[in-house]
Amino acid sequence: MEFEDAPRQHYTEKEKQEVFNNEFMPHVHSMYNFGYRLTLDRDDTKDLVQDTYLKAYRFIESFQKGTNAKAWLFRILKNSFINDYRKKSKEPSKVDYQEVETYYNSDEVDRQITPDLRVESLKDMIGDEISNALNSLDVDFRTVIILCDLEGFKYEEMAKILDIPIGTVRSRLHRARNLLKEQLKSYAKSMGYNKA
Amino acid sequence: MLDGDATAEQKDYFKQHMDHCMPCYKTYNLDMAIKELLKKKCCGGPAPDDLVEQIRTKINSAV
Repeated sequence: MEFEDAPRQHYTEKEKQEVFNNEFMPHVHSMYNFGYRLTLDRDDTKDLVQDTYLKAYRFIESFQKGTNAKAWLFRILKNSFINDYRKKSKEPSKVDYQEVETYYNSDEVDRQITPDLRVESLKDMIGDEISNALNSLDVDFRTVIILCDLEGFKYEEMAKILDIPIGTVRSRLHRARNLLKEQLKSYAKSMGYNKA
Repeated sequence: MLDGDATAEQKDYFKQHMDHCMPCYKTYNLDMAIKELLKKKCCGGPAPDDLVEQIRTKINSAV
C-alpha cells in the first residue's frame, strides 16, 4: 500500500493546508484528465478525483513535502481506480497478456506496421482519431502511454506509480505503442490515407 | 531514445545506426511523430470549475 512504507511526517494543521494547496491542488487538472482516461466517464472521474484528494489529505503525513507530489497523487488515483472503479468501468473482458506480449513485443511487428503507417497520414488526423485510438487500448496499455507521453513521467516514476518493475514499464510501453500504431493504421486505412 | 532515458553513449550509437538503417530511421521518426501528436491532441483541458470547490468542501468536512 502506498502509505505504509513511507516515513511518517508531522505537520501542523497550517502546514497540512499549505502542502495541500501548494503541492497537491495544482495537479488537479492532470489528475482529472488521467482519471477520465481510466474511467471514460465524466461523473466517475469527478468522484475518483475527489476520493483521491480525500485520501491524500487523510494520509498527508505519509508525504514528505517538497518531494514528487504528482507521482504520489497519481499512484493513489491509480490504486483507487483499481480498487473502487475498475469493476464498474466500461472495459471489455480482460486482455490475454500472454498472447499480446508475444506478438506485440517482437521487432517483426515494428517492421510490419511502420511501412504502412506514414508520418504524413498522422499529421492529417484530427484529434478525435488519436484520442479514440488511445481510448481503445486496454486500460493497462493506455495508462503507460498516458503517464509517459502525456504526463512526462520517467520510467522510474512510472514503476513507482504502477508498482511494477522498470523492465515491465519498458516492455509494456513497447507493446502499447505497437498496439496504438495498429489502431492508427486502421484509421488511416479506413479514411483512405494510405492510398499509393 | 524516445523517452529521454538513453545514456549519451547509447544516443551516439543510435544516431550513427540510424544514419545507415532506413527501417530504424523510419520507425524512430514515426514513433516521435506519434508522441508529438499525442501531446498535442490528447492532453485534455482544465478540470471542471466545480470540481475544485467540491474537493475543498469534502476536505473541510472531513477535517
